[in-house]
Order: sequence, then C-alpha cells, then structure tokens
Amino acid sequence: MAHQPQSTPPTGPATRQRLLLVLPMLLAFALGLFLYHGIGKDPNAMQSSLIGSQVPQFAGETLLAPITTVTQANLLGQPALVNVWATWCPTCRAEHEFLNQIASQEGVRIFGVNYHDQRASAQQWLLELGNPYVFSVFDPKGVVGIELGVVGAPETYLIDAQGKIIDKLTGELNERTWPPLRDQYLALQAGVDNAQ
Amino acid sequence: MRNSMCFGLVKALMLMLLLASSMSFASIETYQFAQPEMAQRFNDLTTVLRCPKCQNQNLADSDSIIAKDLRAQVHNLLGQGQTNDQITDFMVQRYGDFILYDPPFKRSTLVMWLAPIGLLLIGLSVLWFLGRKPAAQAAMLTPDEQQQVNNLLDSDQQLDIHHD
Amino acid sequence: MRSGVLTSVHAFASDPDRGYFVLVLLAITVGGSLLLFALRASTVSSRVGYRFWSRETFLLSNNVILVVAALTVLLGTLYPLLLDALGGGKISVGPPYFNAAFVPLMVLLIVAMGLGLGAKWKTINPRELTRSLTSPALIAVVLGVAFPFIYDGQFNPSTSLAAALLTWLLLASWVDLKRRLRHQGWWRGLRQLNPGYYGMLLAHVGIGVTALGIAVVSHYDQQEDVYMAIGDEVKLGQYEFVFTAVTDVEGPNYSAVQGHVTVFKGGQLVAQLLPQKRNYHSRNQVMTEAAIDAALSRDIYVAMGEPLENNAWAMRLHVKPMIRCIWLGGLMMALGGVLAVWDKRYRRRRVDTNPSLQTPAALGE
Repeated sequence: MAHQPQSTPPTGPATRQRLLLVLPMLLAFALGLFLYHGIGKDPNAMQSSLIGSQVPQFAGETLLAPITTVTQANLLGQPALVNVWATWCPTCRAEHEFLNQIASQEGVRIFGVNYHDQRASAQQWLLELGNPYVFSVFDPKGVVGIELGVVGAPETYLIDAQGKIIDKLTGELNERTWPPLRDQYLALQAGVDNAQ
Repeated sequence: MRNSMCFGLVKALMLMLLLASSMSFASIETYQFAQPEMAQRFNDLTTVLRCPKCQNQNLADSDSIIAKDLRAQVHNLLGQGQTNDQITDFMVQRYGDFILYDPPFKRSTLVMWLAPIGLLLIGLSVLWFLGRKPAAQAAMLTPDEQQQVNNLLDSDQQLDIHHD
Repeated sequence: MRSGVLTSVHAFASDPDRGYFVLVLLAITVGGSLLLFALRASTVSSRVGYRFWSRETFLLSNNVILVVAALTVLLGTLYPLLLDALGGGKISVGPPYFNAAFVPLMVLLIVAMGLGLGAKWKTINPRELTRSLTSPALIAVVLGVAFPFIYDGQFNPSTSLAAALLTWLLLASWVDLKRRLRHQGWWRGLRQLNPGYYGMLLAHVGIGVTALGIAVVSHYDQQEDVYMAIGDEVKLGQYEFVFTAVTDVEGPNYSAVQGHVTVFKGGQLVAQLLPQKRNYHSRNQVMTEAAIDAALSRDIYVAMGEPLENNAWAMRLHVKPMIRCIWLGGLMMALGGVLAVWDKRYRRRRVDTNPSLQTPAALGE
C-alpha cells in the first residue's frame, strides 16, 4: 500500500507521474516494433557506393583463349550484367545454371570477373558447366575486384550501355532475385532499342 | 572458515586466468615499410577501416580475402606516398561510408555525437533541480535522536540495531 | 542480431527465426520489467531525507553517469539503423565512437566516486568536502604526471590520467577509512568494520586498477610481425627474442611443429616459449597455438605463421604490459561484490521498524 507522507491532489501531479512511469515501457514497445520491422533484411547488403557512377577503369586478361587484354571499354555498347564468380565459391556453382538459362533463353548479356581463382580450374569449370559469359576477366589478385568494390562472390552488377552502374546484387542470382534486375535490364534495353 | 573458502576460490580463479590458453588467429603477414612511421600509419589505417565482408572486424583483424587484399592495397598506397586521407578516400569511393568505423561528422550524425554530453547534462540538471527541493519528507527527529543517528552513520560499524 | 537488424559484435545468427525468438524473449523480459516499474514504482519511496550535498547525491550522480553510458552504447548501436530507416544512408559506428563517448564518462565517474567517498551520508558541508579532498586531488595529479616518466621515461596523457584516477580513488578511500576509525584505535576499528565496507573499497579500487591496465596496455603495447630463421634475434622493447630451434612433437590428437623461442631482458633469461602449429588428425585442420609468458606486469606472446623455403618462419611477437591488471581489477570488483553480500546485516531479521533508522549506511553500503 502506498504510504505517502504528503497527500497528493487527485489530478495533475499524480497523473503526470503515472504518465512518466509508463513512458519507458512505451518507448521499449516502439523500439520493439522498429526491430521487428527490420528482421529479415540482409545486414551484409552494403549499398554499393558506385551505383550511379561509371564503371571504374580497369585492365586485365581474359580467362579463355585467345587471351587478350580487356578494359572497361569492352563492356560498353549495350546494357549488361557483370558477374563476379570463382570456382571455390559454392553459391557461384549453384547460380551458374541460372546464368546459363538467362543468357541463352532471355539473351541477357553477361560479362564475368573470375575472382581470386586459378586459370586452369576456372577454364575447366566453364567447360564442364557451360559458359554464359561474353568473356571473363581473369582477376587472380582481386585487383579488378577492388576497383569495383567487390566484397565477395557471387556479386552481379547491372550496367547500362554507356557503362553507368545501375544496380548491384550481392549474393546468388536466381528466380527470386532476378525479376527486379530483369525489369531494369529490359527498361535499359528498350531505351537502347528506341534510340536506334 | 568462510574466509579461507573465499581465499581458495580467489586462488583458483587467478590460476585459471594465468593459464588461459590461446586461440588461433588471423594469419601473420610481414609487411616491410620504408620508414617506421609508415608501419604506424598502416596500423592506424587498418584499425579504423571496417572489413567489408566480416563487418564486425576491422581490416587488421579480419582473415577474409577482401581484408587481405585491402591490407595489401593500403601497403601499396602507403608505398606510393599517399596520405592517410587519400587512402581512406580510396576506400570510401569503392565501398562507401560504411567502411569507415568513425562515422563522419555530418549533420545527420550530429545527434549521435552530441547525445552523450546532452544526456549527461540533462541527467545532472534533473539531479540538481530535484535536490533543490526542500527535504520535506525527512522524518522529524529530536536533537538527541539526530545525534544518535549521526553517530551511527559515521561509525559504520556492526551494530545490533534491535538494542533499544 | 544478425537476423537482419543489427550488425553488431553480438551476432546471434544470420537467420530471421532466431531473430524473432530473441525479440520475443526481450519483449517478455524488458517489457515485463518495465511494466512492473510502471505499476509499482510509485510505491517505492524514500522515507529518509538527505540534503543536496551528501553521499546520496554523489551515488545518484554515479547512477546518472552509468545510465548515460548505457544509453550511449544503445544509441551507437541503433543509430545506424535509425538513420538507414529514415533514408539517411548507411553509416557505421565502431570503436572510435564508443571510445570517444565512453572514456570521458568513465573519467567523470571515477572522479565522482572519489567525491562520494569523501562525502558523508545525509549531509556534508561542501567546504569540508573540499578541504578533505584537496590534498588527495593534488597528490593524484602529481603522481599521475610522474607515472609515465617513471614507467617509460616520457610523458603520456592518457596513462597519466589513469594513474591519477587510481591514486585519487586510493586516497579518497583512505580519507573515508580514516574518518570511520576516528573514534577508536586502529586495530579495533578495522576489525569492527563491516565486510560490506571492505567490499565497497575493494570494488572501487578495482575500477581504478582496470582503468590503469587499459590505459597502459593501449599505449605501451608492442607488436612485431617478422621473418625469423633459426638463430635470428629480434629486439622488441626491452626484450630480446631468440629463435633457437624447431622440433616436431606429437600430441594426443595432433601433430605439431614446435618453435623454441628464448626471451631475454638485458641479458637475463626471462622465458622459454614454445609456440606450435598443430595439425589435428580428425579434421585435418591446422591451428596455431601461441605461447604466452604471463605476469601481472606484462604478457609476452609469440606465435608462428607460415614458413618460407629457407626454414625461416613468420613470427608474431607481442609485449603487452599490464594487461592482466584489467582482469585483476575485474576480480577485485567481483570480490568486492561478494564481500558486500556477505554483510551480516542482510541476514538479520528486521526487528526494528523505526523507519528513520533504516538508512543506507545502517543497512550496508
């Protein structure tokens, strides 16, 4: 039983005190709602800081014969995907069939960046699993990766015909993650077609 | 008896601490630097840059591929004579503000930076204003009782309170 | 919560299910306790008044500081999320922010602790407080400034500060102790003091010890990653590390390559360290076992990395001064807590119901 030395008036200070006491609980509840809303979002999905800017300059050798030097200029001309992959990356292996599919059936233009890999095993991989790439840049030291802001594999960039980076997907490209990219790709493609 | 039990426990705890074994850790890289102060800058930079992959670790501690690459990159850039700012700019350009552990002092982060001081001032002022209220709730004691109480408070001894 | 909300050092799992579970758990515990607070807080009232300048006020100010520190951690963790949700972009908060916010608060806390020790319960004359604590403050400053010169030969502000704070706590405790023993002889007085009081002193000093450990190891820590061949000697700080041999050893479930490193200080043998690179048979996994020579004044640490062709090995050498003090301070705090609970007055049946005598001092600090 509350035993207070002074008598308190029925309204005013007592109500205010009660309000103050309930406040922490309400704040905690609000915080809980906020946290609930955030569950399921990918914490590792760092916004690529390159979105909206040009594909950075790089130079590297192609993976397959004939081995030539390619630069960012070789990516221009049409909207395309740039897919970072490696033989040591199990998710890349899982995603590969899907890449084959969209390349052959939907005619999507895909360039590859073979990241921190060995030439022989990478070439063997493409032989066995199929090659959806126009070409793959051989990047054994991750130099091209750093220029692109690559964090790991697989990652896929969407670039437009002029080489501007439109979007970036961190993680596997599959039926679930492809539609938003595809919509943008098709919009870019339509833009190019109309301009011609 | 209680005291010796306590002491035994203390000894055991200290022994455990001192025999703590180590765990495995990130690989050892031996970077050579032209000048010793560059080694210090390398340490400084790799501890304020977050590993983009293992985001709970900084570049110095992380063992992921990208962390190794970026450490090598920092080493390179230091060798090329770039300043600390240039090197962090390089990283931010490619990986965003997120790669810096130190949040930039922008308008959007002003609240966060000023919050600790602000909260402290609020807390202490509340204390001040509450304290200024007269102590009307203090029970009234006779001067003798007050003296008794003061002595009790001062001496802090093991007293038998239920003596009257 | 790696369920997608926070990237924090307390990653539970990258999995929404576990995130929901933790959220529900928090809702029950935090929500429940705050509900209890809302319903019952008004029934908790202080029946004993105290003046503004009193030990009680300093205790309250300590609580304010501690709460602000906790809120700062909460804010630093949640702010990136809030900003991202409001479209302000992704920023990252890490050790630089927390250090910048936390350290000044802790300094303030320790200063206030000393003031609290100098103050009496219920009321103290501010002038008397100043008088009793002026010499402790001055001595603390002098010893604080002297410390890095004695330890290292040159000045360093943060270790100075930590040493000054520890001295401040020790001397303020001394002031309080002296006051309590004022009325009787030393030996009798000390024996009659509650375990709880000793617990309080121990815990307070423990904080200072930890602070000093942290400051010293942050500034005087030395590390070298270097290639060493058999017979090479590397100097790190006051120590010489000599790589004398490499042998093969067998453990119960592993085979290891063991390095022999002898550590000298000014020609005197300090330690023989045996770092290993172990290959565990069952998992075929290579793990590094570092070798540590531990002492309260410093840890010496040696670990082996990868070998080169000419039998040179990459070695990591560490000298960490006073790092065990951090744990020692923690132990002191824990023991202080144990002693405080040991106080007989908590186990005495409360016969006396006169509310004016139930002061914090009478019930144990």
